[in-house]
Amino acid sequence: MNDKGFMRETLAEGAVAFKEGRMDRRTFLILCGMAGVATQAVLTGDAEAAANEIVMWNWGGQAEQCHGEAIGAPFKAETGMDLKFDTSGPLQGKIKEMVDSGKVTADVCDADLFDAVALGASGHLEAIDYGVVSKDRTIDRYALEYGTSIILYGYAFVYDTKAFGDNPPTGWADFFDTKKFPGKRSLYKWANGSLEAALIADGVAKDALYPLDMDRSLAKIKSIKDDSIYWGSASEAHSMVVNGEVAMCMVWQNRGRGIEKDTDGRYKLVMNEAIAMPGAYIVPKGNPAGREAVMKFIATAQSVPAQLTLLSCLGMTPSNPEAFAQIPADLQPYAITSAQNIDKIVYNDPVWWGEKGGDAVNAFLDAIS
Amino acid sequence: MNGSPLARIGSGWLLVLPFLALVVALFLGPIVDILRLSVTDPEPGLGNYAALMTSDSLARILWTTLRVCAITTLFSVAFGYSIAYAMVHGVRRDRNWMLSLVLVSFWISVLVRTFSWLMLLGRKGLVNEALAGIGIISQPIEFMRNELGVLIGMVHYMIPYAVLPLLASMQTIDTRLVSASRSLGATGSQTFWRVYLPLTRPGLVAASLLVFILSLGFYVTPAILGGGKVLMVAEYISVQILVTLRWGTAAMLAALMLFGVLGLLFVMSRFMKLSTIFGGARA
Repeated sequence: MNDKGFMRETLAEGAVAFKEGRMDRRTFLILCGMAGVATQAVLTGDAEAAANEIVMWNWGGQAEQCHGEAIGAPFKAETGMDLKFDTSGPLQGKIKEMVDSGKVTADVCDADLFDAVALGASGHLEAIDYGVVSKDRTIDRYALEYGTSIILYGYAFVYDTKAFGDNPPTGWADFFDTKKFPGKRSLYKWANGSLEAALIADGVAKDALYPLDMDRSLAKIKSIKDDSIYWGSASEAHSMVVNGEVAMCMVWQNRGRGIEKDTDGRYKLVMNEAIAMPGAYIVPKGNPAGREAVMKFIATAQSVPAQLTLLSCLGMTPSNPEAFAQIPADLQPYAITSAQNIDKIVYNDPVWWGEKGGDAVNAFLDAIS
Repeated sequence: MNGSPLARIGSGWLLVLPFLALVVALFLGPIVDILRLSVTDPEPGLGNYAALMTSDSLARILWTTLRVCAITTLFSVAFGYSIAYAMVHGVRRDRNWMLSLVLVSFWISVLVRTFSWLMLLGRKGLVNEALAGIGIISQPIEFMRNELGVLIGMVHYMIPYAVLPLLASMQTIDTRLVSASRSLGATGSQTFWRVYLPLTRPGLVAASLLVFILSLGFYVTPAILGGGKVLMVAEYISVQILVTLRWGTAAMLAALMLFGVLGLLFVMSRFMKLSTIFGGARA
């Protein structure tokens, strides 16, 4: 539906006509109603005022406050535009549905970089304008045509110090070794990270992971299936650990600190061989605020202060290399790109996941169910 | 009666006509859309349906779903039958508080119940800790995060849905028939199996249908209590729509569920009037 653009133009025309007295108030209000635009926004300026904001589509919870503080406030100071939120979680299917329906209500999605690969190829995204957004302010391989990595999160694991305190596990090989480290494990249910961890445990070199050897990976996953359960959301993983259901649990590293705190240090995070995932900002095609405004927003998110606030507020690791050296000492153990961790990590390949992710998820579900 | 078709439709129908139109537009419209998607995405043809024949994993998911739903139905209706029986034949005061208990559990959200089961029967849950504490077990019993956990959660959720139609059905039974049976020399169990049970058949069918159909769409309970290992159709559909973008597969499975349920209703309608079942379900 291209009605939206048409409606917005009609409305802008209408606003001008109304101001000049060529159109009566009632007709103008009906027009606004038809276009589904808040009349207040229109009356305070012109129809463009309705678009004088950026709508960020994120995952809710703490993120709302943190994104507002880290990016919204400096962005407002710089451009005068407000930051609003849709907290329903921009899963690939939802973005595709929104763009296909023609009613695009979000400007920027807090998504994964592999989403940028999958949805960019199918024509659902605006390309990133690297005249405004800086390629140097993210990790080399994570500045892609349809998305740029703003933060990193990663797959690491926590273990029960009461069970393995004397001889703690140090990497994925130990995680998959149920003889040496008996007890239940929990892995991520949607394949991502789990597949890589299995291959590393099976002896594949960190820089030779992609393209993933699915058969080999799934065989390794199945080898500990009887001792495994699987989580679908961060809070589920958190509760599995806190309730003592598992001896080791794959977690998103930004949750590690919270878990250590909630278990009074009984569970400890292992960052060695953590799999770094590029969290990316992507822009649905035909976003309401326009491409120019949202690119400025993404550029603001790349700035060092914004990056460091996202770290302290959400535990998301900066992807801007300028920020790496400024990671505070108390957060360094939990950050992926801190000096003490950066050489131990493995980089996810968003291109492989964008292209093969769907098949991989289904094969993984088939293997674990 | 005059012959004009409008008059025959009656003014009552004219009143509901706008709402009918709304239902058609908002409900049938999207369903047709889904059906269309199932034969057009990713490419026109019956490829999505053919995958049912060729894909082991789809077959396994459907089998898991049918198995879990059938077992859930069996146990829910069996428990529901006993509860309804006790309610109908108890004294009025007991019946009232039993009904309140059933309704209270009916109204508690599925998420709350699911997490309660984890607390109660999880590895470090109340039951396992208690049993370990008094030395009966050395290893925790795996109640949760497997198919048993899913069944426990689903049966518990479904019992009220079984109780209510059965209760309504049992309340309409003339108790003098039981007395008559006894006076003619039948034993208690003979009376139950040969007189009482057949009389409650419409209620049994209604309860089983209701529980089975609702079970087919279960999402939260299998996802959480199954620990990722019990993959049922509803969750799989959601993954195909939201994560892997196989909308054609998802639409095909949705259509399969829809026609499965309609087919089930059709088969049942051959054996009995559906209106008595759903009339009986009005608790």
